[in-house]
Amino acid sequence: MNETMKKDKGFFLTRWAKRLFFGGGRELSFMEEEALQSPMRTIIKNFFSKPLSRIALGVFIAIFLFVIIGPLFMPLDLSYQDNTQKNVAPGLNMMSVPRELESNLRTIAPGTTFGAGLDKEGKVYTWGYTRITETINLAAIPPEVREARMVDLAVGYDHAVSVDEEGKVYVWGNTRLDQAKLSKPLQEALESGEPLKFKQLEAGNQFSAAVTEDGRLFVWGNSNLNDVRRIKKGYDTNIKKVTTNINTYLVLTNDGEAAYVGTQSNAFSKVPEAARTGVVDIASTGFSNAALKEDGSVIIWGNPAPAERELPPHEGKLVRIWGGRNHYVGLTDSGQLIAWGNNTFNQSVVPALSEGAQVVEVFSGYYQNYMLDSNGKLTKWGLKGYLLGTDHLGRDILNRIVNGGRVTMTVGAISVVISLIIGVIIGGLAGYFGSYVDLVLMRVAEIVGGLPFLPFALILSAIIGSRLTTEQRVYLIMFVLGILSWPGLARLVRAQILATREMEFVTAAKAMGVRENSIVFRHIIPNVISVIIVNATLSFASAMLIESTLSYLGFGISPPTPTWGNMLTGSNNSIIIQQYWWRWVFPAIILSVCTICINLIGDGLRDAIDPKSAER
Amino acid sequence: MKKYIALRFVYIIFVFLIISLLMFMLYNQIPTDPARMELEPVRRELKPAEYQELYLRLREQLGLDDPLLMRYGRWMGILPEKNGSWNGLLQGNFGYSNFYKKPVIDVIPEPMFNTVFINIFATIMALGITIPLGIRTAVKKNTRFDGTVQVISVVGYSVPVFIISLVFIYFFAVIFRIFPVMGMKTPGTNYTGLRFVVDRLYYLALPLIVLTFASLGGMTRYVRAAMIESLSMDYVRTARAKGLREKTVIYSHAWRNALLPVITVVIGWFIGIFSGSVIIENTFSLNGMGKLYIDGLNNLDYELVLAMQMFYTIISLVGILITDLSYGLVDPRVRVNK
Repeated sequence: MNETMKKDKGFFLTRWAKRLFFGGGRELSFMEEEALQSPMRTIIKNFFSKPLSRIALGVFIAIFLFVIIGPLFMPLDLSYQDNTQKNVAPGLNMMSVPRELESNLRTIAPGTTFGAGLDKEGKVYTWGYTRITETINLAAIPPEVREARMVDLAVGYDHAVSVDEEGKVYVWGNTRLDQAKLSKPLQEALESGEPLKFKQLEAGNQFSAAVTEDGRLFVWGNSNLNDVRRIKKGYDTNIKKVTTNINTYLVLTNDGEAAYVGTQSNAFSKVPEAARTGVVDIASTGFSNAALKEDGSVIIWGNPAPAERELPPHEGKLVRIWGGRNHYVGLTDSGQLIAWGNNTFNQSVVPALSEGAQVVEVFSGYYQNYMLDSNGKLTKWGLKGYLLGTDHLGRDILNRIVNGGRVTMTVGAISVVISLIIGVIIGGLAGYFGSYVDLVLMRVAEIVGGLPFLPFALILSAIIGSRLTTEQRVYLIMFVLGILSWPGLARLVRAQILATREMEFVTAAKAMGVRENSIVFRHIIPNVISVIIVNATLSFASAMLIESTLSYLGFGISPPTPTWGNMLTGSNNSIIIQQYWWRWVFPAIILSVCTICINLIGDGLRDAIDPKSAER
Repeated sequence: MKKYIALRFVYIIFVFLIISLLMFMLYNQIPTDPARMELEPVRRELKPAEYQELYLRLREQLGLDDPLLMRYGRWMGILPEKNGSWNGLLQGNFGYSNFYKKPVIDVIPEPMFNTVFINIFATIMALGITIPLGIRTAVKKNTRFDGTVQVISVVGYSVPVFIISLVFIYFFAVIFRIFPVMGMKTPGTNYTGLRFVVDRLYYLALPLIVLTFASLGGMTRYVRAAMIESLSMDYVRTARAKGLREKTVIYSHAWRNALLPVITVVIGWFIGIFSGSVIIENTFSLNGMGKLYIDGLNNLDYELVLAMQMFYTIISLVGILITDLSYGLVDPRVRVNK
């Protein structure tokens, strides 16, 4: 008793794995081993004796766990897409503030996939993924900007705007859509000779807004997209603050009124009654506006996501708020910093303040947050970047690889199971009963096998699939693959059974009066199981290949459901192949590695089962 | 043997009819109304009552309300049309392509020519590489050379063709800029004669390389397996014992016997040159059969697709038949009519 207890020591997982792969029981000396080894154990031993098979199995298990466990940590949001994050290169440097700026910081302007900052000497820094398109790069700061001493800086979707000590306005980045075309009042004010003193600078999606010390408001930019053509009368003076969201802006007057001062009517233009008086601070996310009242309550309107309305519990009352792409950050009078809203990139998880430090300033925008404390330390949280980049709709490639792998593997596995069930039953019946059953079933198998596979799968998917939802299409593909690929297996099983059914143990079973069904499925099939396993492994790889081929051609599983195949759809043009290489390289690598491993495992198993074939 | 071939032909016809019936049923799932389409041009000129009457008469004439089997018979050409004429698949009426606005029979020749052109080259290149490679790996079994080729060939048949294409485009068309990314000819040119051939070959070079590369894996392994089997035979040992040169043993004795299984596969390949590679033609935008098929599906040009599907089915069935027969032809020991 004591001895067995001792032997069972060790980490329970290793014990499980041992029992799973090598069987339990006591250790055998090598004399006994020869005598007692079952065929299954010989196969396993042979299989593991080859390094290539071991490596392939290990890699495959790793990929399998990655796509099975991965989705738990990286849930898929099918409706997610964000224009501001499209075609971002792999990297985790979106918040890598240069060190020399960090110690000498005046302001930070968080951008979509990059950041820009200004130090106390008026020098502009940029970091992160600043290439908006092939030709527009925000890191290419014009020489006149580099020479002047800047006092404020803001970045929009594809442009940056800054003002220098003399009140001159600079715009760079994409300037083709009127981003640099200053509005008439601003031009007049600049030309009047009296230097403008800017209090605040904001930039949105291809437009910019500025507030001066004496409360004047200027907006300019792409007026086709944004509501910047005219400012509502009476609101171009006495302004305290301006914020920008997707394509409108919101102002706060010195009288404590949050006002929409554009001329269009939209979800943002109806400012709630409560936000008309007693407002101390305003903020905007991409799709909503928020006004903070004197009593610390927050009024939110526009098109906010539900999470943007749910303030977390906090001590004291809020005194300041900031907005990102779809989250808010707030500061209470007790010095506590809170954040709420979307949390896909951990942008709503505020890191703890260091001991005794006070929040001095927060810079929030898009998915990035920077907080400067009284010790001069800069804390960052939010989106660092994408490990494998993003695709043309701003979706994270890593997330889609993980979730797409689950779909690809599930489709492959279920279609193999379907083809196994049909193939084993039909092959088994044909092989055992022979004569007419054999004739009819084998003719059926030949008809199905005679169908040209890819064209037939394409036409089935095109005709039936056009009326199905995305989810039903996944099932359709599984069934099409399963139903078209069984004949090979059926023929194999039949041939094996033809050979096996003449053996003595079958005769013995018959003599004992065992029912025929039971003879086929309980006595003969277990003897041909090894061939079936090898075949199933190899056809798992080919099912994955065919699914991804169909999806690549656009007839398999359709987006937004990701699979490794449809992630590669449309990659066959030189721009994607070269400029956005991460969009095809990563899915291609994981799909290839996975199918190579499965094929190696299948080959290894076949060699292990039939050592004679290894000599070939 | 003759009896066997005749039997197989009867069987092929039977299978073809079943598959075509299946396809026809599938095709009938698509909601279309040929009668309404035919009347569309004159619709405005008619009063609603007249239109309705004409419509019903046309439906009757076209036999659209008849049972499925009768309509199938007319489409196939084994039953006469309502007016007594025979006008089906067997009479050479392959249907009308709605997208190209001409009969299917006129749409197919050009892509077919391109596909055959590409595939003949690719097949010859692939055989030229795989057979010597397979023999060499078999002779040098279990050496480092053999192991390397084995691993590469596993990679070759495991990696999907479109990924191989993307990788080749990346290196040869984008990085080194040797070949064009896609297309059939230099845009805006209208070469004839030799220049046309040179231009065409320049554009087809990359797809040809990919096609060849993609088919290397499977074939090399097949040749290698056949060759190893053959090298382990007694007659090879006898030949060596007689003191024959190793070259003679390998090429005259072993390879000739290993050729038998290989030839059957090669014949199957040659049948496939008509069908084209759906993936490669789409990736490289080559105007071949595979691209025509996908475009037909995308453009909802189902009569074209149906005709091509029938063509693919015949190719596939004839391919199986010829492969089976060639077993007997190349190896008299295999008696097919057993």
